[in-house]
Amino acid sequence: MSGHAAGSAGAVPAEDPTAFGWLNTADHKRIGRLFIACSLLFALAGAVADLLVRFDLASSSGHTVLNADSFVQVFTFTRDALVFGTLIPLFLGIAIYVVPLQVGAPNIAFGRAAALSFWGWLVSAGVLVGAYIANGGPGGGFSDGVDLHLLALAGLVISLLTGAICVAVTTLTMRAPGMYMDRTPPFAWSALVTASMLVVSLGVVLGQIVVLYIEHRYGPRFLGGNYGIWSRIDWMYRTPQLFIYVVPVLGVVAEIMLAAARRWVFEPLALYFTMGLVGLFGFGAWANFGITNEGADIVDGLEGIVLVGLYAGALAGVSGLLALLGFTLWLSRNRPRPRSGAVSLTRPNTAVVAAFGAGTLIAVAALVGLIGAGVDWLQIAGRGTDGNAPLRFTTWITGQQSLLVYGAGLLGGLAALHWWAPKIWGRRLSELAGFASLLAIGGGALVAWLGPTLSGVFTEQPQFVYGAPLLTTRYASQVDDSGAEGLSALGAVGVVIVLVGVALVVLNLLVSVAMRKGAAAEADPWDGLTPEWLLPSPPPLGPAAALPELASGTPLLDAELNGNGLNGTGAAAERDAEEVPA
Amino acid sequence: MSDATSTVEAPQPGRYSVPGPPPRPRSQLVGTGFAIAAGAMAVAGALGHYMARRHASGIDPGHDWLAGQSVPNPQLVYALITLLVSVVTAHWAVWASGRGERGHTWVGMALTLVMGLAFFNMVMFSLNRMELEIGSGEWATLAYAVTGLSLAILIVGMFYLGLMTLRSLGGSVGRDRSTPLGAAVFFWDFAVLAWAATWYVVYVVK
Repeated sequence: MSGHAAGSAGAVPAEDPTAFGWLNTADHKRIGRLFIACSLLFALAGAVADLLVRFDLASSSGHTVLNADSFVQVFTFTRDALVFGTLIPLFLGIAIYVVPLQVGAPNIAFGRAAALSFWGWLVSAGVLVGAYIANGGPGGGFSDGVDLHLLALAGLVISLLTGAICVAVTTLTMRAPGMYMDRTPPFAWSALVTASMLVVSLGVVLGQIVVLYIEHRYGPRFLGGNYGIWSRIDWMYRTPQLFIYVVPVLGVVAEIMLAAARRWVFEPLALYFTMGLVGLFGFGAWANFGITNEGADIVDGLEGIVLVGLYAGALAGVSGLLALLGFTLWLSRNRPRPRSGAVSLTRPNTAVVAAFGAGTLIAVAALVGLIGAGVDWLQIAGRGTDGNAPLRFTTWITGQQSLLVYGAGLLGGLAALHWWAPKIWGRRLSELAGFASLLAIGGGALVAWLGPTLSGVFTEQPQFVYGAPLLTTRYASQVDDSGAEGLSALGAVGVVIVLVGVALVVLNLLVSVAMRKGAAAEADPWDGLTPEWLLPSPPPLGPAAALPELASGTPLLDAELNGNGLNGTGAAAERDAEEVPA
Repeated sequence: MSDATSTVEAPQPGRYSVPGPPPRPRSQLVGTGFAIAAGAMAVAGALGHYMARRHASGIDPGHDWLAGQSVPNPQLVYALITLLVSVVTAHWAVWASGRGERGHTWVGMALTLVMGLAFFNMVMFSLNRMELEIGSGEWATLAYAVTGLSLAILIVGMFYLGLMTLRSLGGSVGRDRSTPLGAAVFFWDFAVLAWAATWYVVYVVK
């Protein structure tokens, strides 16, 4: 077999194997691991904060756990921790680790910038937490703390943008010679889509943060001061922007499902197109929500239909991808597996079931979003108005966030961790703990979604009252009936279950990886298709001396097909095989 | 390089293979393109905020958006022209670098950097003359924020240009070695465009 040398682009100096090496590393494998570990800790912190908020909302007449000063900060911290602390960095870390291996690159592009991305993110996240502790954050009472929060948020955005650019450039420019874009592994493509969309959407919030910071620190508070911040940036934490963050989950789903099928999709462009569609229709949330504050009359009546269009596009993308993968699985139902350890639908493991669940939940989230946006549009357009609050101002939004962050995001993350743990740490994670965490996260996410969603529909419980956010916790006079209390409590129970699931994931990693109790993994434990499974588990630190030559994103499938008397790369060979008369 | 119809030898999991051709060299240019996209969206976000506030204030009749502030546009026009000329000299430097002409490369970059500094001098003079006081009013505050963002991007652009100029001084010139300088000039083009958009929205349309 031929291959190519690790060239200078993206090359890193020799890695220091000592603990100090973690501090000055520019190796994508270490940076990826750091991102993954720290983002899981943030998931725990975010879920705990969410739990406090939901318990507080379980009483319609006032605060139970928090108080008037802390509610807004804990509410906004929850979103910060789950989106900027967990969802984006978790998949960024996985992408930084896996994408270079998948495309045959010696390292992530701009290894030092990727390291800067991690440390910048970690420091900014620490400052963000400090700002909240100092009574800063949106709605905070300590003015300098609010400014510090905005600076930390800008730091988080810049750091994550830097990491996203490293991943995108790796996929675009450092693919092995011969691996064209239409043969890129699905996860690498999904990482490129997300990175590109992050670049063009998080850039907007950076501009907004500059304005908000100057206004809050120096200006006459014409944007509402500390209470005006959240209404201008909360589009980052809501659908359809959330769809951008979960596009890598679709990549994970495609990777695992295709490995289970041991077959390439019949139309690769459809695979890439559908994932791109989800990212594309997640973009634009900033325009819809950003402009509705000062420029509401500019888009009067349009905002509803724009949202309907965004959700419809995302739904088309997700359902198209799932249909494509489902059809591929159906086509391969009788295909023999090369060896007994191969992953398949008849022999599911945590990764397969979690991937299936995560993909389904994204589709459900898009469908639910479309229904909600359609209802709101009818109201905005004056058809069917009955004086009810639009759903997007109720806890319906909290439900969507739960579905996408806890459901799709964490389940997708669980699938990715179980799938790539052998490659990342050289150990398999415990399947028993994996299934337990799968049930807890999946079930908890559904309950965490159901409570606030039903409350939003039936009681119009406010999600967050921008002008007077404390009204959010005193909604007795605003809701249709008293069922909101029970439904909020139901949502809180869901978060408790999710929290248990995340704790199990962390525990599983500690026991299986840190304590080395997990089974040592061979190079290709799942009979995977993509190039990373050609490398040892885990690959050695530092730049590889030489890398495999890759003609497609599925070299192991190519080899299997060649063994069956077929020539060519995965996609082409599949087509050839289809054309052979029986 | 294999194609879709060639025979692919069966790879063996767990084994690296032998050396081959190097990876593609344009990472820096593509990375700069992504940074430009992010910067463009940041400027667009800030300008969008500015325009939305201006629109909202216009709804209130009799409201003086500028709060009596006058804008010395002649100086700002000269500043913009200086920047536009610096774009020409920057591209001259890249062109010369591609032909391996070190002298022209360095003169072009030196002129670009000097004009960049002259631009900052002119803008600071204009802002001082305006006596624009941050926090004195809505327009002044927003103008400070948006102008500051654009100037920050220009500063990053000058730093990037300076860094790549030093690299050129170190001998990185020639057809195959000019991409980093080209990437820096690409960013400079964007920074100038971002300033032009800011100037038009904030100081011409106001």
